[in-house]
Parts: sequence; structure tokens; C-alpha cells
Amino acid sequence: MEKSFEDALKELEVIVKELESGNVELDSAIDKYTEAMKLAKYCSEKLKNATDKVNKILTENKELVDFDIEGGTNE
Amino acid sequence: MQDKYLKISDLNDYIKSVFDENPYLKKVYLRGEVSNFKNHTRGHLYFTLKDDTSRISAVMFYSSAVSLKFVPEDGMNVLVEGRISCYPAQGTYQIYVDKMEPDGLGNLYIEFEKLKEKLAKEGLFNDDIKKAIPKIPKRIGIITAPTGAAIRDIISTIKRRFPICETILFPALVQGRDAAPDIVKQIKEADSGNYDLDVLIVGRGGGSIEDLWAFNEEIVARAIYEARVPIISAVGHEIDFTIADFVADLRAPTPTGAAEMAVPTVAEINNIINNYEIRLNEFIGNMIHKDKLLLERITGSYILKNPLSLYEIKEQKLDNFIDTLNNNIRKRLENGNLVLKGIKSSYVLKNPMSLFEIKKEKLIFNEKCLYSDIKNIIIKNDHNYKMLINTLKLVNPLGILEKGYSLVTKDNVLIKDCKNLKKDDILNIRLHEGNVIAKVQNINNN
Repeated sequence: MEKSFEDALKELEVIVKELESGNVELDSAIDKYTEAMKLAKYCSEKLKNATDKVNKILTENKELVDFDIEGGTNE
Repeated sequence: MQDKYLKISDLNDYIKSVFDENPYLKKVYLRGEVSNFKNHTRGHLYFTLKDDTSRISAVMFYSSAVSLKFVPEDGMNVLVEGRISCYPAQGTYQIYVDKMEPDGLGNLYIEFEKLKEKLAKEGLFNDDIKKAIPKIPKRIGIITAPTGAAIRDIISTIKRRFPICETILFPALVQGRDAAPDIVKQIKEADSGNYDLDVLIVGRGGGSIEDLWAFNEEIVARAIYEARVPIISAVGHEIDFTIADFVADLRAPTPTGAAEMAVPTVAEINNIINNYEIRLNEFIGNMIHKDKLLLERITGSYILKNPLSLYEIKEQKLDNFIDTLNNNIRKRLENGNLVLKGIKSSYVLKNPMSLFEIKKEKLIFNEKCLYSDIKNIIIKNDHNYKMLINTLKLVNPLGILEKGYSLVTKDNVLIKDCKNLKKDDILNIRLHEGNVIAKVQNINNN
């Protein structure tokens, strides 16, 4: 399954803080750095290519169906 | 000649103009009770406003009455706004009402304050129980009416700022008697854990205090308090404060504001990512630089550059050790030689017979002493023996009996006087040769 944007960003934050804590040895620091830069790029790409997620509405039967704000308003 | 009598209509017109021109009467606010209420077929409302002591006629034309948010009836307390003028046809003055609303607000306000105080005492508004709103939500729940400005503002704001966020609308009535239970039902549904929400927005657009009242109900406040998902309240306008606002984890001034608080903008997220990248690069750069410096310092050290010097130092140390060792051994040998020489040069070792002769002389002398000592002791003891025999002869009691004395005993006890004797006691008398048993005949103490 593809990693979600939020999870990737959270992971990125964790790695940055871990590295900055100063408890990482050089070899694994470079691995983590590489991993973190990949995550940063992944997040940026995701944002750039973000398309509107569908908005949902919960019906009386507790089903989630698409909700269109234009059609859903009557003003 | 001028007729001094006026036409009634002229008088009433004049009086009307006096009313109309008076600035104080152009806008009047009144509080009173409705009576004689009549709703004319054409839509105009006619009634009387009264308080404890006075009354005034009132009319509200259709153009104003159409926007009334309630249906007036006799006995209702109302607040009205209008102008005072005269109705010339009847010669009465009355108030022409522009706006009217029920006078229950005072009661609502008291109710609001009471509930607020009670919930505050229970700790429902405490800052330390407020849950943090996640910075970057994946999915947002919205509880509001499915139609109207509020939901449109919220969704469009979220889409504009952070299009990758999902929303789920839990439609609810937001005004009227059924609104509060409906809102509670949807909060519980949204919080059921079935929807994986990061944050929940609960609210509605602006309106009168009665319109917003559902958000001042205790059951709504408690549902917000009990929810596990963080809740942003967004009720009415900036100036409207409801109980829901106090108990929510975060209060937004408007529905649009709530959406802004719930999601970051794409630009903000980009900044965060850029900031992480900068920190990462700085960190790894620093780390490599530090390690490089350390490596240079180590490879540049004197020892590593001149390995022979390491050897030379050891060589010198070894020489020192060898010198010390030689000195110590030499000293030991010299001391030993001196002691040996002293022993070798002693008199006894050179003349071993002298040792024997000294012992021999001592032995002969001791022999002589021993012989004369024993001789003396024997002579002395022989003399003592003879002396003792003579003394013994003198003190032998049997010797005395030989001279004619006798020993008198009673019950084997020697009798020396008459004290313990009485007549007829049996006495034993021992003589030089033989014994006599005698009986006491007479005792004379003298």
C-alpha cells in the first residue's frame, strides 16, 4: 500500500529529531539522511500532485456518499 | 370674516404634523405586553401594547410584519421599535412598529449564565483537558446543516488551503427544538471510531440568540466534553459566544475560521518540508565536517608521522632498566661478601678446641660442687633425725602413763574436769597396762 502523505511527513519529522538528538553513528546517520530526503521529496510530490479528495456525507442509513457543495446548497 | 371653528380633519392633520416633526418620537423603543391582537386579512397587524399602568395602540404593516421570526399573540411580552404618529381618521395616536421580537432574552441570558457557571465548576472548560488539534489532519468530520453558508464556507476553505484532506459531513439540524439532540446524536456517531477522524468541526452560521440556542444546551456541551476526537466549535459570528465554544477543544470565530484552524495551507506544509530538508543537510554537513577534523587531527599526530620515535623512546627506557638492574645486583654481592668475611675471621672458627676446653673445666668444677653439697645434706639430715627421736620420746602420752598417770574418758571423750559428769556415768580409765571401767559415785567440784 502506498504511504499516506501524513504518515510520510510524520516519519520525516521523527527522523529529523532523531538525527538532531546526536545519538546516531555516522554510517546509520547517512542511511537515515538518505531515507529522510526521500520522504521529503515524496511529500513534496504528493502535495504538488494533490487532487481534490471527494467530500462525503453520512446518509440516514449510515452510508457515506459523495457530497457536492454546489448541489448541496440551495442559496 | 374668518370662521374661528376648525375642521376636525385640519386639527388632526396639525396634530399629526406635530408628532411627525418631533425628533424624539421618530424612533422609540418600547417594552410591553400584547393585547387585542388582530391579524388583518391583508397582513397588517393591529394590537395594543400595555404595561401595568398604561397602554398604547400599535400597528405593524405587512411590509414589516413579513420579516417577523415569531407569531405574536395576546399576553406575549415583546420588544418593539417604531415611530409615534397620529391616525387622523380616528383622532388617535399610535406606534407604527418596524421591528418586534419576543422579550424572553433576559431569561435566556440568565439560563446561559447559570449553565456556564455549573459546567465551569465541574471542570468542563478546564484548559488542561483540552485536546491538541493535529497540525496535519487526514480526515475532518463536520457537524452542521447540509445546506447553507456554513458548510459551503468550511468545505471550500479546506479545499482551497489543503486539497488532500478528506471531509465527512454529518448533517444535523442546527436550530429549533430538535437541533440539540440531533447534534448530540451526530457527535456520538462521528466519535464512534468508525470514521478515523483527526478533528471534528461542530457549528453553524450566524443568527439570533434563539437560532444559536442549541449550542447552549447542556446535552450538547456534555457530548462535546465526552468526545475523544478533538473538536473545533464554530458557532455564528465572531461576537457570538456559546457554551459549546467554552467546552470545545478550540473555539473558532466563524465556520470559515474553523476550517482555517483545522488545516494548514499547502504553502505552510511546503515550508515545513523545506525546513526539514535544510536541517537534514545542515546536520549531515556538520557531522561529516566534525569527523573529518577528527580524522585530520589523528593522522596529523607526531607519533603517526614519526613511528621510529615511538621505538626510540622504548629503547632508552630499556637501557635505564638494565642499568638499574646491574647496580642492584652489584650492591647485593658486595654486602654478602662483607658478611662472609666477618664470619670467616672469628676466633672460635679458627680455634675449635678452645670451645671444648672451656666446657670441660666447667664440668669438673660442677662435679666437685655436687659431691660436697650432697655430703653436707646427708650429714645435716642424720643429725636432725636423732634430735626428732629424742623429742618424740619426751612428748609420748603413753610415756606419761608409765610414770603412773592415767587417762579418763567418757564415750571416748577425754575428761579434764567435773563439769559434764554426773552420778552413775560410766567412765573408762586407761592405765599403763590395762583398762578399768568405773562408775561415778560422787562429784566434788573443788
